[in-house]
Amino acid sequence: MHWPRGVRARLAGALVLLVAVTAVGLGLAATLFVDARLHAQALADARDQAAFDLTVIVPGRQLPAHPTPDDIDRSGLLVTFQQRGVETLVDLTGLGGPAGSGVVQSSDALDGLLERLPADVPARVGRGELAYAWLDIRGTRSLVVGGLAPGGGPAFYFVRDVGAIEVAVDQLRTALAIGALVALVIALLTARVVARGILAPIEEAGETAERIERGDLQARVPVTSHDEFGSWADRFNRMADTLSETIRRLENAQHQNRRFVADVSHELRTPLTALVAEASIVRGDVGKLPPESRRAAQMLVDDVNRLRDLVEELMELSRFDADAEEVALDRVDIGRLVETVRAARSPKATFSPPATPIVIDADPRRLERILGNFLDNAKEHAGDKSVEIEVVERDDDVVVAVSDRGPGVPADRLEMIFDRFTKVDPSRSGGSSGLGLAIAAEHAALMGGYLQAMGRDGGGLRIELVMPKDVAGSLRSGDVTVT
Amino acid sequence: MDARILLVEDDPSIREVTAIGLANAGFTVDTADDGRAGLDRFGAATYDLVLLDIMLPRVDGLEVAREIRRTSIVPIVMLTARTDTIDVVVGLEAGADDYVKKPFEVPELIARVRAALRRVARSDGDATSSLRLGPLSIDPAGRTVARDGDGEIALTRTEFDLLVDLARHAGQVLSRESLLDRIWGYDYLGDSRLVDVAVGRLRAKVEADPAVPELILTVRGAGYKAVK
Repeated sequence: MHWPRGVRARLAGALVLLVAVTAVGLGLAATLFVDARLHAQALADARDQAAFDLTVIVPGRQLPAHPTPDDIDRSGLLVTFQQRGVETLVDLTGLGGPAGSGVVQSSDALDGLLERLPADVPARVGRGELAYAWLDIRGTRSLVVGGLAPGGGPAFYFVRDVGAIEVAVDQLRTALAIGALVALVIALLTARVVARGILAPIEEAGETAERIERGDLQARVPVTSHDEFGSWADRFNRMADTLSETIRRLENAQHQNRRFVADVSHELRTPLTALVAEASIVRGDVGKLPPESRRAAQMLVDDVNRLRDLVEELMELSRFDADAEEVALDRVDIGRLVETVRAARSPKATFSPPATPIVIDADPRRLERILGNFLDNAKEHAGDKSVEIEVVERDDDVVVAVSDRGPGVPADRLEMIFDRFTKVDPSRSGGSSGLGLAIAAEHAALMGGYLQAMGRDGGGLRIELVMPKDVAGSLRSGDVTVT
Repeated sequence: MDARILLVEDDPSIREVTAIGLANAGFTVDTADDGRAGLDRFGAATYDLVLLDIMLPRVDGLEVAREIRRTSIVPIVMLTARTDTIDVVVGLEAGADDYVKKPFEVPELIARVRAALRRVARSDGDATSSLRLGPLSIDPAGRTVARDGDGEIALTRTEFDLLVDLARHAGQVLSRESLLDRIWGYDYLGDSRLVDVAVGRLRAKVEADPAVPELILTVRGAGYKAVK
């Protein structure tokens, strides 16, 4: 069975995809949002601090209007800022004067900072605004905020280490990735549980269908839910109901049919017994009758016998239909049995017994009946033409074959000759009922064998009884009584 | 042969034509149309043979056979409508010696009747000395069997004839066909179930444990033999 795996895989795939897309989308949005918020917060803090420093702290140190680097050093401003975690660079170049050239910085890390700033930052600082830029300084993410000291003093650039933002965002990303993995695992497990929930009733329905296929017409799919599957199961069960009801009606009809045949043949038996006894007395005296009625009397006798054969064959078939037959197995020397029947029933038929006796377990009365019916059939269709009987071993079987040189049977009708009331050539009504081979087939089946028919080269028909050598092994032991 | 035959058959046509056929063959025939009348007739006269339909009104044929067997070993031939093993077995177990299947031809019936009568004549004239089979002593002239220490065993004529035949050929396998020929007088293919049923009934009476026969043995694919 391939489809349950398919459904499971598809369901799992869909759930995993859904979870993955959701996790990635949410993760991206969350990181971007948090990243932006952290940067904005850091920037706002830095700007507030810078404004405070420039307007409150720097003026408080009483710097001269044109401070020299030494003035800056002496004021201790840079140390103050550094203690708050902020590196500072003071640009004195914009102030003019011989003493006012150069920069003062709190750390070597700030070498060349001014050159690396985007051009508009110093420009805006020069115009007296606060300006900022994000820069990597010696591998550390940093925020630079610049502004002028009040009264056109030197330009201060405050540099803050904002690597913590990156670390925080990285941690967030890791946390989200782990969360996404957990969600995926949960999705897979959910897919399994859901798939099992969906597939369990389907598998149960499959088993039910298999049981029905094997002949258990009472098998039904349990209806346990009110969903689509429940209504499907209900419809399936209604179909099975209809099917088994139809089959039951057909079987009933067939049973009644057969019962009727059995009853009719049984009822016919009493008048038939009188007829047969009467005819048997008349037969001996047909010659003494006046010529006008002699022929009619002879026909009467013959027709009574035909009727007798027909009724007896119908009753025999009825017993098979009622399973009233049982097999009595004995050791049978097939060659000897065939020779006995040939001598009694068809002395003109040729038969050469097998060189070494073939002995099997079989019911000798049934074998006699089958062979007798074969010979009757050959006699009826082949008349005086030669009839041959053969006994051969073929693999694990013993084959008893009767071949005639009659008109034969068209290949497409060969199978039908074992059906009841089959007459291959309706114009040749003959004397037989058309039940002989059907009866033979029933006897053969009862012993675990079967019949087959085939055409012959040069015309004629060959009918074979194929019997397993190990009859007892091919029958259920309960059917057999061994004498 | 002017043997006297009692024919018990309920269907008037069958009864009449059978009686005609038997009369034509030289037998004296009395008829009865149900089991009760049959038993009354049997009690009122002496018959050499009884022809008995199984399906009879009032008292059925099996019951009639059992009733007759209480007092007589007269040969009983059953007329049976069905030839299922069960019918044949039940008929023979009720005490019948042979059966004729319906529908039958009159010559066929007469042949069976003559065979049964011949058997009576032959076994009545049997004066051979007594036989032994294991613990059984058999006296063919007196038609009695006794088991050592147990006394006499009641057997029907068929069972007795079968026992004598097997005992006379002790150690020798007798095929069903030859037994049918010798005991029942079938000179053509007869019904071997007659033999099987009769052997079964005989075993039930003479064997210590009929399920494990020690006196009359089955030889698979061949027939039966009595131990030597």
